[in-house]
Amino acid sequence: MAKLNKDSLKTLSFITYFIILFVFWFILSGYLKSLLLFFGLLSVLFVFWMSYRAKALEEDSLPLKIILRLPFYWIWLFKEIFKSGITTTALIWNGKYSPQLISVKASQKNRTGIANYANAITLTPGTVTIEVDKKTFLVHALSKKLSEDLQTDDMNKVITDLDK
Amino acid sequence: MSYNYIELISLVLLAIGCFFILSGSLGLIKLPDVFSRIHAAGLIDTLGSGFIVLALIVYSGFSLLSLKLLLIPLFLIFTSPVTGHAIALFAHESGYKPKGKNKK
Repeated sequence: MAKLNKDSLKTLSFITYFIILFVFWFILSGYLKSLLLFFGLLSVLFVFWMSYRAKALEEDSLPLKIILRLPFYWIWLFKEIFKSGITTTALIWNGKYSPQLISVKASQKNRTGIANYANAITLTPGTVTIEVDKKTFLVHALSKKLSEDLQTDDMNKVITDLDK
Repeated sequence: MSYNYIELISLVLLAIGCFFILSGSLGLIKLPDVFSRIHAAGLIDTLGSGFIVLALIVYSGFSLLSLKLLLIPLFLIFTSPVTGHAIALFAHESGYKPKGKNKK
């Protein structure tokens, strides 16, 4: 994405947020009558105003830069979830679990990235982020293999690259 | 004939989803402590619900309805880690030690 100054980036993220809200409204309602579309527009404006007032539209809450990479990231994440899900299922059935605590370092630069990484760890079955301390996570893993998978740092790199 | 294939695919996906939910429920009973049980709950949240929604999408055919169905796992992706993390953090803060080897 080309270099933009701060104000135009902000405007752009406002517009994107507005479009996302409206598309969301449309998916949930499915109406195409102009009167109902108008009411939808009103409710979207109301939600927009509410989130502006709640200061939910600050700089890094709407990661415009990564929005195009998100679908690919989700596909990758689903693959990871599936892989570790199978491992966890096998562990539950054969009973060979050995729970352990490990600490994991995060290399993301902003708060959104760190939250994203912590969420991804919790989302993959078999690993749960217990505590976030600035840039180190305390992670509970169900077995040695799962904790080693995490310590190879692949997930960390993918999520850090998301924000480049 | 093609109708039957669609039914078969959604049936298989439903069976996979049910299997993951069964394993998750089994894990909830079988695993030793709070932290391990969260893993089992996570299995239900992500893979169980994911496969069942996928089966429903295949069954109903692609329409506006399937977009609505896709929103369910999307919201689960954001909310289920938060609840899991909240439970784990509270257990940790109140001094509950996980069983098994601990290396910090």
